[in-house]
Amino acid sequence: MSNYADILAELSEATPAFRRYARALGAGVGLVVADGLVQSALQGLGARLRAREASPSDTEAARIEAYKSITALAAHKFQAASGPGPRHPPIVHGLAGLDFTDRAVLLLVSLEGFGYAAAADIAGISREKIVLRLQRARAALASWTANSGGIPDATLVRSTAHLRVVK
Amino acid sequence: MTTPPSGFVEEADLHAFVDGILDPDQRRRVEEHLLHHPEDAALVESWRRQNAAIRAVYEPILREVPAPSLRSAAAQVSTPSGAIESGATHWGRPGVLPRVRRREDILAQQRRQAIFASVLAVLAVAAVAALATFIFAGRSEHRPIAAISAPQGYVARAGLTYATYVSDQHPVEIDASRLEELSNWLKVRVGFSKVPDLSQQGMRLLGGRVAPGVAAPAGFLIYERPDGGRLGLYFERSVATISQQASKSGSGVTAIEWRTADFAFVLIGPLSLDLMQTAAEKAAAQIIGASQPQ
Repeated sequence: MSNYADILAELSEATPAFRRYARALGAGVGLVVADGLVQSALQGLGARLRAREASPSDTEAARIEAYKSITALAAHKFQAASGPGPRHPPIVHGLAGLDFTDRAVLLLVSLEGFGYAAAADIAGISREKIVLRLQRARAALASWTANSGGIPDATLVRSTAHLRVVK
Repeated sequence: MTTPPSGFVEEADLHAFVDGILDPDQRRRVEEHLLHHPEDAALVESWRRQNAAIRAVYEPILREVPAPSLRSAAAQVSTPSGAIESGATHWGRPGVLPRVRRREDILAQQRRQAIFASVLAVLAVAAVAALATFIFAGRSEHRPIAAISAPQGYVARAGLTYATYVSDQHPVEIDASRLEELSNWLKVRVGFSKVPDLSQQGMRLLGGRVAPGVAAPAGFLIYERPDGGRLGLYFERSVATISQQASKSGSGVTAIEWRTADFAFVLIGPLSLDLMQTAAEKAAAQIIGASQPQ
């Protein structure tokens, strides 16, 4: 197990990525709100580390713990978020329209670069549900983009009947 | 659709292909499948475009410098006040900042304190002037209280907005290169979209942002002079419709306030009263011209 100092250094180093994830997960929430959420999540994780309620085996596990804290806190804090405004790019509006867990899974995989097992762990769902969540998120984004006139590309919303959906 | 030349490819395989988690053999199998199934290839391409769009929006955040208290958040011992769940309001709380601060941070704080002190001096002058007007203007006893107190409030909020943002690392949310977007955004959020051009006064528009107002969001435009001095034009929907123009100055900062088209405007900056007055009149003329019925 990594020592406490190594874990703190890893969390500090990963702070820019935590901010990026929180901002994307909020889909339109302001900088201060997103950073405040990251700060609260990291403080909470730090308290659990000191109390030995959390004991990540290595720095990567600590990073995953931080993402779990951010995701759990965001699920609560961002419920009442006002959503993106007219200045936000279309993709942010699309993200805002997704189910929270679908959005989290998509961002963890597509933006943060996690594998499916880690993303499932962070999002608190089974490994088997990850692809279903990704499929729903990507289909909803494609549908939103097509309906909003963003990218008039029929392939974004075409039928995928020849593909077998994995549960 | 043609029959795939190799094993059946599920949608899960396509997602895994896009997400880069297939081993080399699986990847070759999917690539071969995509060669024979243009519909699936288009689907994969559309997902890649989604990923690229997401990254284009959020990747720049990695280049921002987080606040020191945020970088060391996990090492901080939270206070018993329950601030852990309170969002961002606990930033900069005593005891949160690291013990050793960089020299640039200290200098920046000193600059902010100097600006804030200047603004406070302006507000003090404004408060005295408003009180004197209230006491000695005997014929104005029927004027609504709001008409007396509101101007002081507009200057106060303009001063705070100026002090908060003018020396910030990111003073504006939308810069002048996206003027149309800025104008549309202000129209939606604030209700007023005319962005005065003060270039003839040597003031280049940097951009604008939305700031807190009383009953609705306020707009705040920032202009910069060649010498680096910055002015702010603050505006929000006013509670009274009377047209007035007043100036207050002190400690190197001058604020000029006027009302037009149901909005209160405050031009604030570190210039002489004459220069500020000229700039304010130029801005007011453009605003009045923009608000005239066609």
